[in-house]
Formats: sequence, C-alpha cells, structure tokens
Amino acid sequence: MIKKTIIIDNQLGMHARPATMIVKAASKYRAEFKIKKDDTEINGKSIMGVMTLAAEYGSSLELIADGVDEEYLIEEIAELFASKFGEE
Amino acid sequence: MKKLSVKEFYNTKNEDFSLTLLTNPETLENQIISQYLHRPGLALSGYFERYSYNRIQILGETEISYLQSMKDEKLYDRIKELCVYEIPCFIVTKGLSVPEQLEYLANEMKIAILLSKMSTDKLYHSLRKYLEDVFAATKSIHGTLVDVFGVGILLTGKSGIGKGECALDLVERGQCLITDDVVKIILRDDVLMGTSTNDYGHYMEVRGIGLVDIEKMFGIQAVRIQKRIDAQIELMPWQDNMDYERIGLSDNYVDILDVKIPIIYLPVSPGKNVSVIVEVVAMNHILKTYGYDAAKVYTEKLQEDIKRKAKVRNAMIDDKE
Repeated sequence: MIKKTIIIDNQLGMHARPATMIVKAASKYRAEFKIKKDDTEINGKSIMGVMTLAAEYGSSLELIADGVDEEYLIEEIAELFASKFGEE
Repeated sequence: MKKLSVKEFYNTKNEDFSLTLLTNPETLENQIISQYLHRPGLALSGYFERYSYNRIQILGETEISYLQSMKDEKLYDRIKELCVYEIPCFIVTKGLSVPEQLEYLANEMKIAILLSKMSTDKLYHSLRKYLEDVFAATKSIHGTLVDVFGVGILLTGKSGIGKGECALDLVERGQCLITDDVVKIILRDDVLMGTSTNDYGHYMEVRGIGLVDIEKMFGIQAVRIQKRIDAQIELMPWQDNMDYERIGLSDNYVDILDVKIPIIYLPVSPGKNVSVIVEVVAMNHILKTYGYDAAKVYTEKLQEDIKRKAKVRNAMIDDKE
C-alpha cells in the first residue's frame, strides 16, 4: 500500500470534469484506490464518491492505492492533479 | 428518385379519396414524381412562368367556375396550352362537372382526370399526407423498437446480445413492442417513425423456443403498430477499455435519415438487468424533455459547494488576528 498527499491546485476545485478524469484513469488499474479528505474516505473509482468530497482549491487530499499496480496508479493520478486537469 | 404511377395511385387509393376516372383508362400511364400538389389558377389565366406542371393539378370550385366563365374558343385554346405540359393528372374536387373541352383534350393528350367527391380542402390535406409518406425517405435498421413510458426506444446491437430478451422483459413490465429484428423507419415531418416491415402482426423469435406471438400472449396493450423514435440504445458487450458515460453531461447523438437522436452505449454483462436500465433511460429522457437535467443540477450543486468552501478557506487564511 502506498500513500501520497497532494494539494488541489486548480481554481475550480474537483468538480464534475476532474472527478470523471480521476475515476476513468483509476479504473484502468487493478489496485484498490481510495481518496481521503479530512475524515472522509471514499472509493476513488466511484464517480459519486469522488464528487461527494467536493474538494475545493487549496484543500489537501490523501491518495491511497493498494494492489499490484499501485505505483503506476498513484503516479498517473498525481500527474492529473499536477496538470490542474488542463485548467487554470 | 421515387415515382408513383397514376394507375397505381388510382387503383390503390380510389376508395380513400372517393375517386372515379373520367377519362379513358389509357390516360393512367403517367408518373407522379412530386409529393406536392398544385392549384393551377394562374396557369388557367394564361400565366405559365414557373408553372409547377409536374405536380398533381387540383381543380376546385374556383378553377372550374373560372373555366366555365371563359368563352368556348378561348377556353379550348387555354386548356390546349395547359395540356402541352407533362402533367401527371388532374383531380377535380366536390364531384364538379368538368367542361367538355377539358375532358376531350385530356383524353387527347393522355392526362387522366380523376373526379373526387371530397371537398378541396379535405382532399388537399389528406392527399398531401399520403404523398408525403409515399415519397418519404425510409431506412431499415436491424434492431428492436419498443415504447417505454411513451418514449420510442430503438434497441440495437449485435445478434445475440439480447435485444429480443430485453424487449420481452419490457413487455412483461407493461411496455409495448412495435417490432423486433427489422425496424422500418420513415421520415415524416422531421420525425422518425418506426414500424414493422410487414403487417403479419407482432411475432418474435426467442432463441431456443422459436416464434411466439406477442399480441396473443400479452394482449393488445403490449403492442403498437408504429411509434416515433426518440432515442437509440446500443447494447454492447462489456469492454474494459471502453469509455462509458459516467455523469451524463455530454450527450452522444446518431444520425438517422438526417435526424439527430440521442444514442446511449450500454454495456451488457451477464446477470445485468438491462430492461430496468432502458426504463431509466426513457424516464430520464422525459425529464430532460421537460427541462430537468439531473447531471446538470447535481454538478451545479457541487460547483456551488466547492466555491463556498474555497471562500471559507480564503477567509481563514486572510484572517491574521
């Protein structure tokens, strides 16, 4: 199991479009994927779950992956956050 | 381009439009090539510029009384001028009496005169409707057409994917079957109408059983003759790398006879209840038609929530006390 903490860097926060990108990217991997914000932990492969976080600009999230391809999963998701999902 | 011979039109539709043939049978050889009708008022008065001669010419009370008001010689010359054009046929309405010269020249020039008992208005509208159907663009599609809560849904997908079984399940849940396997689509007033290619009834092949009669089995409420097609659902085997819609903010469309309708790509896997999903698609379609888009409403709420939270966070950072 690996964990990585990231900060949301795009102004609009994690709205529907970024949430979809995360879920679609994560679903390609076999590892389990969870996202934790404050005391809420959700399944990162579930679109409703990710949207439930309503994570705003500047908030921090903990990405937790567990499985054979966990490193690749975390790497791709972290990249998505770093690229600000192609937004400002 | 589609064609309809005057003979076929007369033989099949003389009862519907209460037509009798005034001229001799040899005049029935012309072809109808236009779905439009024409009332040749200006042509009768001698103005032949832009004359739509290739349409069925309707002679109502106005036209006939105008002809009757003309002097014999002038009338003969004018009708001769008119009959030089390749007119498919004349239809005289209200059973009005036709001037002798017109009947004589129509026979000479081999243009049929059909006498209808209907009023001009009534004939005009029902004939237009009929011709529109005859000349309408059509297409046959491999699929199953069902009426789900009043929404016409075209189920498509490879053979054996379960279109028929899905339709059967829907029928049992109280929905209607229009046709299974081949759907004939007719374009009518920018609307796609789906129907069966034959009028044998509502039969269906169920793998392992053979043919069954849906109407006999489930009753008349389980079937429909035709239905407007509102959306298409393409059933497909589940693929891991396929990009399935997750939120529903962006709609996919498909072009059928130049009409755009929404299409939904629905992954099917064993044990999945497809018919309930088809019902959900239908209900969601109705909601969207009435202006409620669940995906939009939800994501707007989410965006507001995120914005509010960001504001609170900024306020906390700025607060130096």
